[in-house]
Amino acid sequence: MHETAIVEGLMRILEEQAAQHRVTRILSVTVKVGRLRAVEPQQLIACFEMFAEGTVAECARLVIDSMPVRARCKACKMEFEVPRFRFECPGCAGGDVAVIQGQELYIESFEAGSG
Amino acid sequence: MCDNCGCSITDANRHLVENDRHTIQVLEDLLHENDQQADHNRSHFDELGIFAVNIMSGPGSGKTSLLEATIHALPPGLRLAVIEGDLETENDAERIRRHGVPAVQITTGMACHLDAHMVHKALDQINLKAVDILFIENVGNLVCPASFDIGQHSNVLLLSVTEGDDKPAKYPVMVRAADQMLITKIDLLPYIEEFSVDRARAAVRDIRSDLPVTEVSAKTGHGLEPWLEWLTAMSAMRRTMARRQRRSHDYVARQAR
Repeated sequence: MHETAIVEGLMRILEEQAAQHRVTRILSVTVKVGRLRAVEPQQLIACFEMFAEGTVAECARLVIDSMPVRARCKACKMEFEVPRFRFECPGCAGGDVAVIQGQELYIESFEAGSG
Repeated sequence: MCDNCGCSITDANRHLVENDRHTIQVLEDLLHENDQQADHNRSHFDELGIFAVNIMSGPGSGKTSLLEATIHALPPGLRLAVIEGDLETENDAERIRRHGVPAVQITTGMACHLDAHMVHKALDQINLKAVDILFIENVGNLVCPASFDIGQHSNVLLLSVTEGDDKPAKYPVMVRAADQMLITKIDLLPYIEEFSVDRARAAVRDIRSDLPVTEVSAKTGHGLEPWLEWLTAMSAMRRTMARRQRRSHDYVARQAR
């Protein structure tokens, strides 16, 4: 359940941002989550609903933008999506690859409104 | 009306209250606070030339037994300390202390992983000036610990032969995070015909082709040499780097005078 720690971080950011921008109601929140972060979307949403209660983000919708894993082959420079954690270059079958996407774990934006 | 909290926004009427909605871009890391603390921990280690190793595995893979065997097998000059992470009990720290090595137990309560703040608090209880290698034994869990930087230099992943050779394929994120992998309890291999070392290695290779994998037995000491050599070399490198850093600080300070 590392999702609780992640949502704690999210709530801290939201409350800071809401105060800074004088926002009284948050309608939705978009987070980018890479597949390499092993975050379970349903757990993240359940935690968020629980933590948001009684805050400016109460009843806000959590939108999880799940980022597939992408890698670049160090040998032939080909970029490809990594299927099911099989880190093998489809071009040259090389295994020495650099991850270029899939490690994301950040809040992209939130929608504010009055209500 | 929202039945859960009475906030009165539903998908049907959401548009009515959202006329003045506007989007605010943030782009902040959700684990920012933890990562900052982890960098702080790492700067303590770097300054003092300590090699910090995060040891991760499922429960019961033999993390503490490996540490006990390692304590006895490492060259005597190296000064060790251990931080133990568990949900409850002091058992593991007590096991380490019996070998004359300082150990601090972190009991996380409900948390399934160590975070950088917990580790920092534990550092207060260790005389870091008298440490060359700090082992941080994470909570037994193959998912959560991989997400939390605690200030370590290297991640070591243990897989015991009793767990099954498809574990790497089932927990790929952990394998990606590792810098070293040890297949432990290799002395039990003759009794566990279901476990194939080749299959386990192939599963690792698919996920991370350059991950060094070593078969070891903490009980018999079999196969520990590469692991001990790696620790010794990494520790020597950390000490050299710290010396160089100190020298350049001294130089800058002298020039400023």
